Amino acid sequence: MTQGNDDMSALDSHFAAARNTAPTPSSDLLARVLSDAEAVQAGQVQTRMASTPRGTPLAQLFRALGGWPAMGGLTTAAVAGLWIGISPPAALQEMTDGYLGPDTTVYLIDTSADVALGLIEEAS
Amino acid sequence: MDMALDQMSDISDDALLVLFANGDRGAAHSLTSRLTPRVLAHAYRMTGNRAEAEDVAQEAMLRLWKIAPDWRQGEAKVTTWLYRVVANLCTDRLRRARLAPLEAAPEPEDERPSVVEAMQQQARADALQAALGELPDRQRQAVVLRHIEGLANPEIAEIMQLSVEAVESLTARGKRTLATALKHRQDELGYTE
Repeated sequence: MTQGNDDMSALDSHFAAARNTAPTPSSDLLARVLSDAEAVQAGQVQTRMASTPRGTPLAQLFRALGGWPAMGGLTTAAVAGLWIGISPPAALQEMTDGYLGPDTTVYLIDTSADVALGLIEEAS
Repeated sequence: MDMALDQMSDISDDALLVLFANGDRGAAHSLTSRLTPRVLAHAYRMTGNRAEAEDVAQEAMLRLWKIAPDWRQGEAKVTTWLYRVVANLCTDRLRRARLAPLEAAPEPEDERPSVVEAMQQQARADALQAALGELPDRQRQAVVLRHIEGLANPEIAEIMQLSVEAVESLTARGKRTLATALKHRQDELGYTE
């Protein structure tokens, strides 16, 4: 048993020696590893950029505005504005008659969904 | 070539790997200087051959670079994954060409100053390396991870995809074989502990 313990103790000193004499990478190996890293990294970045859609300036604007969901809202607002301009509801006509008199014609021009600009032109 | 100092020493390995995948060149430097020594040392303990170990280390690191974009943080330690890759690469090489026998153990890697203690340490390390070369691959891997790399049994079990009990059994058998081989070697060479 004592002999076995001695052998294991000797083995421990060998393990310690192995830890203390661990090989260190040469500068050449480190350079090769780093060179691989940079080559792989450049390839990965390039692949990622290539897979990102770019398209025409109009397509980029379309994406910048939020794509189809945003376009749905904008289109609805534009069509509603156009319809009100062509055929103003009776309530609007009554309101303008009250303010401006019955001989006034009202044109509403909706230039965008967010900013409603009403131009009132008095009939001659 | 002088390597940059590890300037990201507070950042974990897997966070650095994410930075690497995002194109951060500093992360490549840090991971190279941090992990290559460990990978090389393990490969050397497994193969007993410096040139083979360098090839294995470079290949293992290359695999790490390639897997970086798909790395899932928090699932496994980078070093655990690397130890497994190194072991697999070494096993493949050992299967292709069995390594040099005990008598043809590698010469000391570098000529250190003639300090007795340093020479003794190198002699012990070389004797151990030669004895390790005689162990079955799995026993060698378990012993090296436990007693030279200093890993805990659960991590070794994860690396080797074994139970903790199986790891304990492998290391115990490996140590017994090593102790016997080194005793013979010591008697042959006539050195004392």
